[in-house]
Amino acid sequence: MDGLERLLKKLIRSGAGRNRFALAITGLSVAMLLILAAVQIQSNYHDLLHSKTNQDSIANFLVLNKILTDQNMGATALSDSDINDLKQQPFVESVGLLSPGRFKASIQSYSDRFPFYTDIAFESVPKDFIDVAGKDWIWKENQQLVPVIVPNMFLDFYNFQFSFSQNLPQLTQQVVKMIIFKINLYGPNGIVSFNGQVVGFSDRISSLLVPQEFMEWANNRFGKNKDTKPSRVIISTKDPGNPILVQYLKAKNLSTDADKTRFSRYRQVVDLVVTISGITGVIMLAFALLIFSLFIQLTIVACKEEIILLITLGASPKQLRKFLMKQFFPVNILIILVSIGIIAILQYAVHHQLLSRHIYVNALPSYTVLIAALTVLMVTWWVNRYFIRKYISLSAK
Amino acid sequence: MTIELDHIIPIPLKDRFLQRNSEVWNTSLTFEQGHYIKIKAPSGTGKTTLVHILYKVRHDYEGAVLLNNTPITCLSEDALSELRQQKISILFQDLRLFPNLTARENIELKRILQTPYYEPEMIESMAEALGVLPVLDQKASLCSYGEQQRIAIIRALIQPFTWLLMDEPFSHLDIANTRKAATLIDTECRKRKAGLLITDLDEDDHFNYTKQYHL
Repeated sequence: MDGLERLLKKLIRSGAGRNRFALAITGLSVAMLLILAAVQIQSNYHDLLHSKTNQDSIANFLVLNKILTDQNMGATALSDSDINDLKQQPFVESVGLLSPGRFKASIQSYSDRFPFYTDIAFESVPKDFIDVAGKDWIWKENQQLVPVIVPNMFLDFYNFQFSFSQNLPQLTQQVVKMIIFKINLYGPNGIVSFNGQVVGFSDRISSLLVPQEFMEWANNRFGKNKDTKPSRVIISTKDPGNPILVQYLKAKNLSTDADKTRFSRYRQVVDLVVTISGITGVIMLAFALLIFSLFIQLTIVACKEEIILLITLGASPKQLRKFLMKQFFPVNILIILVSIGIIAILQYAVHHQLLSRHIYVNALPSYTVLIAALTVLMVTWWVNRYFIRKYISLSAK
Repeated sequence: MTIELDHIIPIPLKDRFLQRNSEVWNTSLTFEQGHYIKIKAPSGTGKTTLVHILYKVRHDYEGAVLLNNTPITCLSEDALSELRQQKISILFQDLRLFPNLTARENIELKRILQTPYYEPEMIESMAEALGVLPVLDQKASLCSYGEQQRIAIIRALIQPFTWLLMDEPFSHLDIANTRKAATLIDTECRKRKAGLLITDLDEDDHFNYTKQYHL
């Protein structure tokens, strides 16, 4: 410490009492902790929803259709304005139309050892929305082989119910993929047949999917109504648990897989906790800064005579402000560092707790915590500077 | 640095001063750097007021004080501290020491408020010259008034300056101590080629004055 600082310290004592200072520091610490905790909780929740480690591939795609009621029977088509409105919602990343086949179709086995025949309906969706579409997910005109994607639950239904009741063998995915079967399309000019082959199993969309090129071609050729509106759409969304999405669906009378949106209730609780913690933190910060500024004021007023004489003797207000800033501000840095430390320890503990339940959150505090800490540090710096400036120039006059 | 007084007159004393002639109030005067100026006047005629106006701690006057042709009213906060740290040193009549600091600390504070003009050892050597070495580490409030006056003189001499303002500097010193103090002040002013402005009640021959005025 240089000599001038030592002498100034002797002259300008913190005359306002240790208790008030301790109170200001405690208030600041608690406020700091609350604010940083709110930021960290928010960040953890964000991680849980979006990080690759936790991401559930089906959770981010939702198939939407109108809820079928007695009133809208036969009129469940989604209009262009419905779809445009959906596209403009902030929670929707992209919208894909599910095109239903508008023709009669059936599939049947070529093999006598394993005979089957069933009427069926196909659906298609843009390739981007399918999780299992590979290189072979394509169809060109005159191509005899049509790739098909089957919902997983179809195979489960066969393997665990149907095969038992009909005394048929159970089939693995690999076996099913090897079977070539016959697809019949019924048009005004008779039946046209293709070879079908299952190329993938999906959890995302619960219908038999064919490539979109095939669907367009077949609808043109065999479709009964040329211009039918889609009844179902698929959307991709960052956060299926977003309460705004759930509210929107409810307001528009749309339904989707409730399981995927169940997070919205938890999310509302988390949002509430974060908001309460954040607001309490900000209010406490305001009060703590108020006490802190009173402390600065009292110190300066208590040493007014000394400050006036110092200025009379030639001390510049700038020198005094610098000295006072050095007296008051470092404790703010200390508080913030300690708060970050506590948050880091808590986060590490939470990380380990959740890891045992196979939930992954980062072991280190989020960078947003550091940004928040830095922001609060800047606010306290400004408050310190403002009040020191104000009271020194009041004394200097 | 020249100090120029342009018809200054303190507002509270205005009526009184306008009724009688003064060689300082309401006239035009220029003090050149290096000159020794003596202002002689009886009590209650505004000696302290004049010193305070020149040091810019009083503002209730008419007219203007110019330092190197710049009115002191135009000085910014920073320029004023710079002036007091580098150009003008002062000895107040009421001394104005910090009672809670020791004599040494009072002087040291003024020494290091700016880039020091002297090494710290100079405090002791000046204190020895003025006979206050034994009280250097006493609290200023515990020193006698005569000791405090000498400490305040040393405090004024420890910094750089081009003008030294002294308001009745020897009021509590005996003849021998006055002589010692005057010698030290003279030496320090010559070393800096600085001007000296002293106010006092009576005639004296402590310094070789360039000019003497009656207030």
